[in-house]
Amino acid sequence: MKKYIVMECHLSYAVVLDEDGRFLKVANRNYKVGQTVTNVVEMQIPQSVPKEKKSRKWLYTLAAMAACVIIVVTLVFQMGQMTYASIYMSINPEVRIDVNRKDIVVGLNGINIDGNDLIKGYDYKRKNLDLVMDELIDLAIEKGYLYEGCKISLVLDAESNEWIVTKSNDLPIHLNKYLSEKLTFTIEISVKKATNDQIIIPINPNDSDYDDSDYGDSDYEDSDYDDSDYSNPSYDDSDYDSPSNDNPSYDDSDYDDPDDDSDYESDSGMTDYGS
Amino acid sequence: MQKEHQIIMSVYQAKEDLQKADDLIRDYIPFIKSEASKCISRFCSEQDDEFSIAMIAFHEAILGYEHDRGAFLPYAAMLIRNRIIDFQRKETRHQGNVSLNEEIKDSDQTLLDQIADKRNYIQESTNLEATKQEIEELSAVMADFGVTFSDVADNSPKQERTLEACAVAINYAIENKHLLDTLLKTKKLPLAQLVKGSGIERKTLERHRKYILVMLLIQTNGYEIIRGHLRHALKTKGGTSV
Repeated sequence: MKKYIVMECHLSYAVVLDEDGRFLKVANRNYKVGQTVTNVVEMQIPQSVPKEKKSRKWLYTLAAMAACVIIVVTLVFQMGQMTYASIYMSINPEVRIDVNRKDIVVGLNGINIDGNDLIKGYDYKRKNLDLVMDELIDLAIEKGYLYEGCKISLVLDAESNEWIVTKSNDLPIHLNKYLSEKLTFTIEISVKKATNDQIIIPINPNDSDYDDSDYGDSDYEDSDYDDSDYSNPSYDDSDYDSPSNDNPSYDDSDYDDPDDDSDYESDSGMTDYGS
Repeated sequence: MQKEHQIIMSVYQAKEDLQKADDLIRDYIPFIKSEASKCISRFCSEQDDEFSIAMIAFHEAILGYEHDRGAFLPYAAMLIRNRIIDFQRKETRHQGNVSLNEEIKDSDQTLLDQIADKRNYIQESTNLEATKQEIEELSAVMADFGVTFSDVADNSPKQERTLEACAVAINYAIENKHLLDTLLKTKKLPLAQLVKGSGIERKTLERHRKYILVMLLIQTNGYEIIRGHLRHALKTKGGTSV
């Protein structure tokens, strides 16, 4: 039987030392210090269970918060990669360029065989839309798809009308600037969903600065020609349509044509344009 | 309500302070006695084992009580009841045995008086006195280090493996007496040297710092009786560890 020496006595318990060198708190059954005793009743301090639970709860909260943060971060990241709008560019090779909200290209697909050939080995990642367009056109020239007098057709597809309006303004201007020195070609812009909104702009290198100087009158260029008229469906009915496609040598003279002027006058309400 | 609140306050103070715990228990001795009496269905005197059990159960209740789990007194009553029932179950194992205090038929004497007394009472009482003196001396030295036996009991290793690990460190110190000298001189436990010499993890020793301190103090001069009590444990462990 195990022997214990009583080391210290308290009201409710005694401290004893067993033969293995353990100090124990036991029930004080009228022990005296120095006494050797057997058969002790050891003190058992109840385990505090709820504390563990509390720490677990805290852990759950933390885990939930971490999960939320991960979800939000993933969503934001995904938003960056999400296709916000697409541009179908066809020369003869037809490609689809997907851009996100900030006009960074996130996807590039060939629609036909030539299109696949054109974008083969081309790295579009993290490049701006304008840059990709320029480089693709350069590639097309290099590979012989695009030559003098060709027609580039751009089809815009986006949820937001605002984006379509801005892009149908900006893209031709940008391409004009970039390519005016190299080639003569036509850009045709249309919107995918509403096919009525086709806008066709004739361009040749000499003519690239028509929006600056030829009209002379800056008021006219700013307000009507650049901004609003493109999106104006009534613009389609004008005479520009047929001659521009057929006649590459089409020039400013038509603008000065009194017939057309009358159209402008009625549209813009500018009476002094003709004079 | 107000009273209940006060009890909770004093229970929480008693968790930290031994003196306050003693005071609280002393104040509630009538309660403890009544709970114990209810449990054994007779009056419980202070000489009864059940009373001691009830006292330590009350102390356990103080240490284990948590405010958000309900009122204190019902909890303490439950703990007292459980511990007494546990104790009685253990005792039933000895039920077949005859009590020494049982009276023999047709005489006033008890069984205890009839058994030939082989023990030497005088020797025993001097032994008891000597042991008591040793313990008091040790306790005084420990007070210099700011340690009480209660602290050591809380700090003592409970698992077999930890106990053995501590024994290895203690034996290393016994074999290198200068460690004990530095301990007495500097009043600081030479923990780094113990870790280096015994190869026991520092964390283990640090956790049982007070325990190791007292065991080393026991190994300094004096304390023959306590050492004799422990000899069994330390010598065999020392032999195997080398």
